Amino acid sequence: MKDMRMESRVDSTVNKIEARKVQVYYGATHAIKDVDVDIADRAVTAFIGPSGCGKSTFLRCLNRMNDTIAICRVEGQILLEGEDIYDRRVDPVQLRAKVGMVFQKPNPFPKSIYDNVAYGPRIHGLTRNKAELDQIVEDCLRKAALWNEVKDRLSAPGTGLSGGQQQRLCIARAIATQPEVLLMDEPCSALDPIATAQVEELIDELRHQFSVVIVTHSMQQAARVSQHTAFFHLGHLVEFGETGQIFTNPKDPRTESYITGRIG
Amino acid sequence: MTDLAALETAPSPRATPGQSIYVTSPEMKRRNAAETRFRAYGLVAIAVSLTMLAIMLFTILRDGSSTFFQAKLSFPVELSEKVLDPKGNRDPAEMAKVTTIGYAKVLASALLAELERQGIDLGELSDKEAAELISKDAPGGLRAMVLDNPALIGTTIDATVLAGGRIDGYLKGRVTMESAQLDSNISPEQLQLADRLRTAGILSSGWNWGFFTNPDASDQRPEAAGLGVALIGSAYLMALVALMCIPVGVAASIYLEEFAPKNRWTDAIEVNISNLAAVPSIVFGILGLAIFINFAGFPQSSSFVGALVISLMTLPTIIIATRAAICAVPPSIRDAALGVGASKMQTVFHNVLPLAMPGILTGTILGLATALGETAPLLLIGMVAFVDNYPGLPLEGVLDPATALPVQVYSWASRSDPAFIERSNGAIIVLLVFLVVMNVAAIWLRRRFERRW
Repeated sequence: MKDMRMESRVDSTVNKIEARKVQVYYGATHAIKDVDVDIADRAVTAFIGPSGCGKSTFLRCLNRMNDTIAICRVEGQILLEGEDIYDRRVDPVQLRAKVGMVFQKPNPFPKSIYDNVAYGPRIHGLTRNKAELDQIVEDCLRKAALWNEVKDRLSAPGTGLSGGQQQRLCIARAIATQPEVLLMDEPCSALDPIATAQVEELIDELRHQFSVVIVTHSMQQAARVSQHTAFFHLGHLVEFGETGQIFTNPKDPRTESYITGRIG
Repeated sequence: MTDLAALETAPSPRATPGQSIYVTSPEMKRRNAAETRFRAYGLVAIAVSLTMLAIMLFTILRDGSSTFFQAKLSFPVELSEKVLDPKGNRDPAEMAKVTTIGYAKVLASALLAELERQGIDLGELSDKEAAELISKDAPGGLRAMVLDNPALIGTTIDATVLAGGRIDGYLKGRVTMESAQLDSNISPEQLQLADRLRTAGILSSGWNWGFFTNPDASDQRPEAAGLGVALIGSAYLMALVALMCIPVGVAASIYLEEFAPKNRWTDAIEVNISNLAAVPSIVFGILGLAIFINFAGFPQSSSFVGALVISLMTLPTIIIATRAAICAVPPSIRDAALGVGASKMQTVFHNVLPLAMPGILTGTILGLATALGETAPLLLIGMVAFVDNYPGLPLEGVLDPATALPVQVYSWASRSDPAFIERSNGAIIVLLVFLVVMNVAAIWLRRRFERRW
């Protein structure tokens, strides 16, 4: 893996998502406190921090997956291209087509590989005919670096693939709906180092088209794939900046403690 | 002894340090013994239940399997025009004036003529007593046949008619010479004649199709009683229960499991559904009697009302099974679907339901199997009545009086003639076969749907 820190000069200065004063409550628990974050377009932003610090919770706010949890309450403002995603007029289902998500555990549908990728385009009516759908499936599987491995068995069940292949299938499925932002919740934590390397390469490819937000426990991974890094601790956003700066010259003593392994 | 006591106070199974692992410690021996005992209890429990099942099946098969064979008399019958259509114009209205008594005489004289032709001695029996070997149900059958097909008049047909219930019992060993002496319905001389008829090939035992097609019969003619009405009634019941229960039950489960907010109301509904599943079935019968018959005015004894009552009973079972199946679908699948922008309903119908399908089908079929065997509520809404007319075709037919298999078992078991007890056991066998078929279907469907992925 080449080190991405060297080229971590920001590709784009346009902010895709701007979060301001975000608070998340689980019942009486105040899980996220006053988080302000700007997610740049066409770049990878990494959220790091110890377990339970709220980084996954915050990630799930960005496409309103937290809506499915009855006791969860979100306050503050999250703007996607200037529009508040928690506005009453926003339909979360429509939002999630724009802000795709890849989960920690590979979770392919119990359908064929083809149908897994085709599911999103089908329900959103992105294609007019079978040929277009075939093309989308092939493109997405190619982008997910899975095409060569599965092109001869597209009708085989997606659940029959290996863990790394399943996760790449999930990424193909997520990008098939042509999202603008891709959220990844520890996408490599269930994978072996080889599969992890493949997924990381893929993430680097994807950032040319999408704005990618990745939650990770691995600081090496954050350093390798991201241009911006946010460090969360106990529900606070402790420090946010360019990845190179966070790892080489952290401003906050807590960040330094974490990346040097003293807290976490 | 002191060493042993010291060992027992030490809770560690590792016994004393430095001891060889070839030596089992007393603590370990105690734990192994406990495990062996527990396995033995389990084996005993399984053995007891299997023995009981075997005894039950053996008794039912012993007492019921003879139902499927029936004594029959075969002899040529001359359908004389003089007796059956005196005016000779084949007018159905005129022909119908000849009652079953007239046909009984035709059958009796035909049998006697055959006996004479074959030179079979009547012994001390009068002609009338000899003719009593023919079932009282036979003339009615012959009459229906002739009225259906008047062209038969004037010909001689090879008729096969039911033998009387006692003769049937004699062939099956239920009636003996000793019991016949005490029986006003049969005499030992008639049984001796039956023996001679058997040797001559007139009396024989054959497969009892009538048991599946005939309606119920009166106390005097158990040999003619069949499950026809009960089978149709049970089929209507099952079809209606499935039609009413499956959509409502599955829809209710999906709503409660996937859409309903978790609050006091849904908690209360959940508790009440579980409670409904525990309500004794007879209570549903009283409810059905009060609401569907007395209040709503649906016809009593009809399979429609029966189906309504049984649906009420089966619904909680289906809801509980379906909810468990939906609940068992991993949440990651829902996340995955929501994550690509599927709506809640798309998530449920495209991804959750297919995965829950084996469980839903199994629960539903087992619920229906319970419904098939349900008796008590049907007694209260009048399906225990004596019904000898087949219910009509659907849809109107579901409002006609009918019985059901378990109710038929009950009503035959409560009649005095032992021939009905035999038929009761036969009906149990039929019911058990249906239940086994349904359970096998449940297993098969489960396998089939699970094998897909």
